[in-house]
Amino acid sequence: MTTGVKSQRKKLRGQQRGRQVDPSALQEIQSIIRTLPLRKDLMIEYLHLIQDKYQHISAKHMVALAHELKLAPTEVYEVATFYHHFDVVKENDTAPPALTVRVCDSITCEMFGAENLVNELQNFYSDQPVRVQRVPCVGRCAEAPIAVVGKNPINHAKLETVRNVVEAGNTDAPVSDYITYNNYINSGGYQLVNRYFDSTNSTETIIEIMKDSGLRGLGGAGFPAGKKWEIVRQQPGPRVLAVNIDEGEPGTFKDRHFLEKDPHRFLEGALIAAHVVEIDEIYIYLRDEYAGCYEILQHELDQLKKDPPFKLPHIELRRGAGAYICGEESAMIESIEGKRGMPRLRPPYLAQVGLFGRPTLEHNLETLFWVRDILEKGAPWFGLQGRNDRRGMRSFSVSGRVKKPGVHITDAGITINELIEEHCGGMLDGHTFYGYFPGGASGGILPASMGDIPLDFDTLDEYDCFIGSAAIIVLSDKDSARVAATNAMRFFEHESCGQCTPCRVGTAKAVDLMEEKTWDIPLLQDLTGVMRDASICGLGQAAPNPMESVIKHFSHELNDKNS
Amino acid sequence: MSMLKNIIRSFTLSELLKGMRLTGRRLVSKKTTIRYPEEKTPQSPRFRGLHALRRYPNGEERCIGCKLCEAVCPALAITIDSEEREDGSRRTTRFDIDLFKCVFCGFCEEACPVDAVVETRIFEYSFFERGTHIMTKDMLLEVGRKNEDQIAADRQADVAYR
Amino acid sequence: MSEESIKLFINDKEVSAPKGAMLIEVTDQLDIDIPRFCYHKKLSVVANCRMCMVEVEKAPKPLPACATPVVEGMKVYTKSPVALEAQRDTMEFLLINHPLDCPVCDQGGECELQDIAMGYGEGVSRYMERKRVVLDKELGPLVSTDMTRCIHCTRCVRFGSEIAGMQELGATGRGEFMEIGTYVERSLSSELSGNVIDICPVGALNAKPSRMHARSWEMLQSANVAPHDSVGSNIYMHTLRNKVIRVVPRENEALNQTWISDRDRFSYEGLRADDRATQPMFKGDHGWHGKNWDSCLEQVIEKIKQYPAEQIGVLAAPHSTLEELYLLQKVFRHLNVQNIDHRIRQVDFTDQEAMPLFPYLGQSIESIEKNDAIFLIGCDVRLEQPMLAHRMRQASARGCKLTSLNPQSFDFHFVNQSTWNVAPQQWVLALAGIAGCAEPEALQKLPPALIAMIEKTSISTQAKEVFDLLKNGEQASIMLGAIAESHPQASALRALANFIANNTNSHFGIIAQAGNSVGAWLSGFVPHRLPAGKASTNIGLNAVEMLVNPRKVCVLFNLEPEFDFANAPAAIKAMQEAEFVVIFSPYLTESMLDYANAILPIATFAETEGTYVNAEGHWQSVTNAISVSEEVRPAWRVLRVLANKLGIADTQYQSCSQIRDEIKSLLEGEDEFDSNLKDLNHINLNLDEGSLFRVSSTPIYAADNVVRRANSLQATVYGQQPHVAMCEQQARDLDVLKETRVRVVQGNQEMTLDLLLNDAIPMRCVWIQRSAEEIDQLGVTIAPVEIQRLAHV
Repeated sequence: MTTGVKSQRKKLRGQQRGRQVDPSALQEIQSIIRTLPLRKDLMIEYLHLIQDKYQHISAKHMVALAHELKLAPTEVYEVATFYHHFDVVKENDTAPPALTVRVCDSITCEMFGAENLVNELQNFYSDQPVRVQRVPCVGRCAEAPIAVVGKNPINHAKLETVRNVVEAGNTDAPVSDYITYNNYINSGGYQLVNRYFDSTNSTETIIEIMKDSGLRGLGGAGFPAGKKWEIVRQQPGPRVLAVNIDEGEPGTFKDRHFLEKDPHRFLEGALIAAHVVEIDEIYIYLRDEYAGCYEILQHELDQLKKDPPFKLPHIELRRGAGAYICGEESAMIESIEGKRGMPRLRPPYLAQVGLFGRPTLEHNLETLFWVRDILEKGAPWFGLQGRNDRRGMRSFSVSGRVKKPGVHITDAGITINELIEEHCGGMLDGHTFYGYFPGGASGGILPASMGDIPLDFDTLDEYDCFIGSAAIIVLSDKDSARVAATNAMRFFEHESCGQCTPCRVGTAKAVDLMEEKTWDIPLLQDLTGVMRDASICGLGQAAPNPMESVIKHFSHELNDKNS
Repeated sequence: MSMLKNIIRSFTLSELLKGMRLTGRRLVSKKTTIRYPEEKTPQSPRFRGLHALRRYPNGEERCIGCKLCEAVCPALAITIDSEEREDGSRRTTRFDIDLFKCVFCGFCEEACPVDAVVETRIFEYSFFERGTHIMTKDMLLEVGRKNEDQIAADRQADVAYR
Repeated sequence: MSEESIKLFINDKEVSAPKGAMLIEVTDQLDIDIPRFCYHKKLSVVANCRMCMVEVEKAPKPLPACATPVVEGMKVYTKSPVALEAQRDTMEFLLINHPLDCPVCDQGGECELQDIAMGYGEGVSRYMERKRVVLDKELGPLVSTDMTRCIHCTRCVRFGSEIAGMQELGATGRGEFMEIGTYVERSLSSELSGNVIDICPVGALNAKPSRMHARSWEMLQSANVAPHDSVGSNIYMHTLRNKVIRVVPRENEALNQTWISDRDRFSYEGLRADDRATQPMFKGDHGWHGKNWDSCLEQVIEKIKQYPAEQIGVLAAPHSTLEELYLLQKVFRHLNVQNIDHRIRQVDFTDQEAMPLFPYLGQSIESIEKNDAIFLIGCDVRLEQPMLAHRMRQASARGCKLTSLNPQSFDFHFVNQSTWNVAPQQWVLALAGIAGCAEPEALQKLPPALIAMIEKTSISTQAKEVFDLLKNGEQASIMLGAIAESHPQASALRALANFIANNTNSHFGIIAQAGNSVGAWLSGFVPHRLPAGKASTNIGLNAVEMLVNPRKVCVLFNLEPEFDFANAPAAIKAMQEAEFVVIFSPYLTESMLDYANAILPIATFAETEGTYVNAEGHWQSVTNAISVSEEVRPAWRVLRVLANKLGIADTQYQSCSQIRDEIKSLLEGEDEFDSNLKDLNHINLNLDEGSLFRVSSTPIYAADNVVRRANSLQATVYGQQPHVAMCEQQARDLDVLKETRVRVVQGNQEMTLDLLLNDAIPMRCVWIQRSAEEIDQLGVTIAPVEIQRLAHV
């Protein structure tokens, strides 16, 4: 056995595995993730820690992390590249600059000049170590356009304001004033569970109240909440509650609104749900864009755990990492498990086999937000709200060309005309009402002439639209539905997870076709048909809605040669 | 009676005259033969003669070794070996056409996705030694090189029908 | 799947199906064709390609057949306008980004996408926009990539995590930017990696060694069996103009399912190595000269007859066919030669009389998956028997606990695996500890020396754990691997393992190593038994004795002394000292020219008919895939002529199958296999208790003469450089911690090797990595060694 002389000492661990772990990287990883237990489902949290520390995730750190978790490096790599908030730097590639300015270019922000802002910023920072990045909706549409410096969102951003913030180095998320734990307790919070703890048949009572109230899932799907509790309760334990605060739908910001004002109200709702459904683990999944809310929630959860009003279930707060698809309930479950956020096939439904294979009750934040009020005020209270023959309340996230954009909590079934007049202070001066997105980017677009349709679940079905998370974007005569629809489709292309063919290929192809000067309508409609019929999850199925709406209701824009 | 007729016919040399008349007529009428090899008959652009392998104008050989011609050949006259060239492209290392087997059906031409193997207008060739009836890749490429202008013109002429 | 069956209607025909089955499983069973890309019967369902859409009555939309469970009374239409429309639409979507490079794509002609596109696709695309382009990935010497062709079915990704046990390929990025690749450029290292070539429905992953060499339609297919391990994986050899172009798996649910190992897939490269022997040669007084077969064989006979029978030794490779081994022993037993052996990698033969009819696995290969506890002794099963490892991996995925007694931690990629790393000189002690957990009265069955050892040993927690694991398992197994086979106390290991198995109600299995090790036992290719295991009155020398006391005449069959023996230097020395060496070999090496006197070129496994008997005793007869060239002859024909020339009665075989039938008739009545030793008293406890032992195993791609010549396999991560590895503490104790190279001294042999540290190796033992290209000049694979520092200049 004569071999060539090797000058470098090789250290072999186990069998040869191809790539060796860099000992210094391993040490760095160990010190970074020391604060957390070593669990595979915490992968995204680890990656966040690495990203936060180094502003990027390098190859050697991924190998080291894989080594720590006893995974193949590919598994870490798969996850890290799925989420857009992780800057994966391959070997021999240069790391991005430490500071990133993210500019939202989704529908509302685009209407308010995001395009210009991006160009100005890019020109300005072209030779400086600041990265200007276009990002999809960051959930602040009422203050459009938005730029986020590091983690600090700047409302109504302009080149100068962004410059000032960058120069001042204010990259942390500001924290709003909110009802703290003590204030919440003092105002009668966290009393309900105690009230129901002792009585034996109370759980059935609560479920009955919930069912009677008519509260439906407010994340968009509208499944009756009481029924959901009942179904999950019938499954064999242990069960899990997952709270979805990954509102990524362009135009939606109601969850942020609630979190920034009253973070404990939904927590109480979650604890009641956990108590009723006999759940001992709660996972809260918050989108990463809401850095301020993360601070609030972390702090308040600590307060709550430090001084619990009663025996708490295990509560874990998790962050997303820039993936709209994780708002889809099963994709969120995958993400909490530390995997790529790809929707699961159903059956089995999450209520049967969900998070970590357990029966899972999944709720949007707002659904849980109303639980306390319903139980305190009684089932009829919630149902008594509403108009135009609809029952209940909705929180409309209104943005666009109105005087008072923002979250407006009002009757379900209100029409857009009523909403603009009664709550939004009318249209902006110089703007005439032209059309609106009734349910965020995926809900379709309706023209002003259809402004008297009650806004609620089911009422928009006949117009091939839906209310979803009640994100209303108001367009004026200065806007183009076609441009807005193309923007929406670009968003879906960006956010498609890539799992199934119709959505992966369809969204990309639709963008190409919609950017053409003239739309090939029969081809687009064929494309739509396939995406609707064959996509696995709602993203692909609903993605063509705005485009279809334009063809149906705004065909004059397509004929217009100048558009 | 008939004997008498025959006698008259032979003495008047009428048959000879008949023949001479035909000869005389042909002597002045338009010719239908040509003086091969000095003269050639006209050929169609679709003429199916000797095979050739073509190159692209930049000198790269067209053939990608897909072996469709080999598969379609009804006479099993084509034999191809292929492998990956250093630059990663698929190329033949051997492209033999056995002209004894070939029936000049033109299927190879039709099957070729890159117009590499073609049949030229060449029909005059002969072999003097055993074994030389197999056209190798180099020979075919050489035929192609010499006749590229004609080949290209012929393909162009036929483009509307393809 | 539950036994309950339900009725449903497929295309208006009533069919019954097991409850809970997916629609596509039912239609596949009934030969109703539904196009699919991502679905694969051995992989999990992801339903991401959306190709298998079918119409289901009352469903608002077409449903994917692969993810739709059958329901009582369901009405399904697979060819209705709605279903066809949905399939056609998906096809169009897939083709939007798929390149039209079928003429240069190796998958062309056998491509699922191409086939289905012909059926459903439009002739002209309606999408004129640019197609997506993806950079190719470098995946090593076996798999080539054209990633632009990828349709993201993720079969290869699922194969990695579910079958190979190591997720090497992953889907990175998302949406349109999703790509299949490894984490940074690196080669695949799974020993089953070649299977991704088969499961890829398009031409994105292809075989690199045969890349662009042939089109699928022009190759001839012949059914064969791979002889490189004892599973006998079923393969198809695809040949073009008498050349093997590639090897693909032949489905056999009982053996290899739909997979084969890379060793079986790419070994064909060795068939056309440069050093093939092409004509019979004889070394006369004036050096080598080519001979015709007739005169060569006659000269061999004449020469052999000059020596007494006991001075003749016959050694054959255990991957030779049953017929070859049978005829070879028949020829030499006729000459009264009893020194016949195939156990080239074994060193302890004490219990050869107690061995069962053949080393039996103790169960069928299929039933390995059903185990819930497996204890491996001296076995790197993944590299020794990749398909058995695959079965064990499937068992482990179902909850089977695997534990092993090994000299270091081998990476099996099992879900639930623990290893007990012990220096080889203490293996008997370790097993004795486990045996000690049995009922005291049961111990009396063991030989006194072992009882004494057990009584002295205190039972460790590990021993107790293993014993309980086996005892509590519903179906448990103990298996002995290649390292145990070549252990100097192999007989004691076998006896103890057998004893433990009997007392824990486990299956006892000896994993036969080569493609026909079992066949060699059955055909009497051992010094102490005649064909069919009949006792021999005249017991000859075993493989080691023949080498230690070199015979004057040596006959080597399909062997290379430098690489095939447990003790390479002894083998080489024996050849050099022999007066007359006859080598039957497909290959002609430089060293053979040195010590051989006659070289008879024989066919490789692809060129000869023959029978192989696998580890579970299953006979498989195959014909040749290609014919021999030049003067090479199938060995059974050569041996038949030899037999005829010697005038052996009834050897006028017209076909190979006649020989097989003759062996079969001898084995009449031996239908029940037993893996148990006939008694446990033949043990060898002698061991030179050196302070430090070396251990080695045969590298996966050094298994036999063909594999060693497969260049692509040698270029993989398993084509390792020789080195010596030990734990850090050991290196410190030996004062070589700072060294990069050390001298290893074994007996009077020595070598200088690179030193690596590996903390999984226990104290008092070093791992010496062998390689397929370099000779292990130290000697036997498990023996005391000394490690010395090199003198620094």
